[in-house]
Amino acid sequence: MWLLPILGLIIGAVIGSAITFQVPLIYVKYMSIAVLASLDSVFGGIRAILEDHFDGTVLLTGFFTNTLLAALLAYLGDRLGVDLYYAAVFAFGVRLFHNLATIRHALLLRYRQKKYQEPR
Amino acid sequence: MKIQRWQLPMTVVFLCVGILLSLQFQAQSQIVSDLYMQRTENLIAMIRGLSEKRQKLALEIYDLSNKLSVQMESDRDEKQLISNLNAELNKLNTVTGTTALKGPGLTITIENSMPILYIDIINIINELWAAGAEAISINGHRITFHSMIFYTEEEYNMSITVNNLKLEYPIIIRAIGDPNNLEKGLTIPGGIMDNLALFRAYPFLEKVTSITVPAVTEPPSYFFLQEYKPPEQPAATAESQLPGDDYPQA
Repeated sequence: MWLLPILGLIIGAVIGSAITFQVPLIYVKYMSIAVLASLDSVFGGIRAILEDHFDGTVLLTGFFTNTLLAALLAYLGDRLGVDLYYAAVFAFGVRLFHNLATIRHALLLRYRQKKYQEPR
Repeated sequence: MKIQRWQLPMTVVFLCVGILLSLQFQAQSQIVSDLYMQRTENLIAMIRGLSEKRQKLALEIYDLSNKLSVQMESDRDEKQLISNLNAELNKLNTVTGTTALKGPGLTITIENSMPILYIDIINIINELWAAGAEAISINGHRITFHSMIFYTEEEYNMSITVNNLKLEYPIIIRAIGDPNNLEKGLTIPGGIMDNLALFRAYPFLEKVTSITVPAVTEPPSYFFLQEYKPPEQPAATAESQLPGDDYPQA
């Protein structure tokens, strides 16, 4: 059941490496914060699936708005002289690790449940 | 397998993440190789290495241009040598008579009625050589170091030959040289002209500003000649033969 998303990831990677478009070097910083935000959204989505309150609309809107807003905020911060970049890194980083921990917990819980149910 | 409701959005999201990640990878790897992002120490080392390389290359350029100039010089020397050899060859050609020549000189015309023997022709030619003639021809036969002048007899008819070829009258001797000198050489009192006048032969002399002397028709070929080189004496014996070396040193 995870086959389709993983296939999507691989196809995305192939498309990305096939694209000859080069991100201008000054925007690489904002691009990196966008990547961090998108990763956060992905892990949030996985967590939601494991906790059985997944909503596709929430995931998609969250993914795109988070990504764009993170990049825009970092850019705006640079314009205004406020290092919002670090704030975004911090916020998304903390949420990312929190999500990962939750995912781990949920997976562990499921594994144990299966293990204890099967012998019966 | 039924597609669960979360799979489609997840796939879309993963697709976008894949694109973003690979783009970011590319950009980041470019940043790492970009000069702006290098550390100062690395940049200094790079500059040092490159300037060293440049110095080496400049030295190489210097060496190679030196080599080039040497080569060009030797080429020029070679050209000079060739031109010298060509000049030498031209000189030798004029001397051996393998080229036709042109210049001021004297023509001597001998008619059929004049009692002239082959020995008189030889005398005239010797006199011309002595008077500074540089090239002589008789009726188109170039006179060189191996020319023969003699006579043949046919039915009491004597005819003069040059290189075993009969001469037709009038015999015209052409000599290139200073015309005045050549004429004086022949007409000097008691000279060849006076001698011939005793036999009532009066060759007709004419000074000409430009006459041509033809080339030898059959250049001699050599089969037995070899250059002779005198055996070299060893330097030590040559020194010991010097006078004064015989005396024992006190």
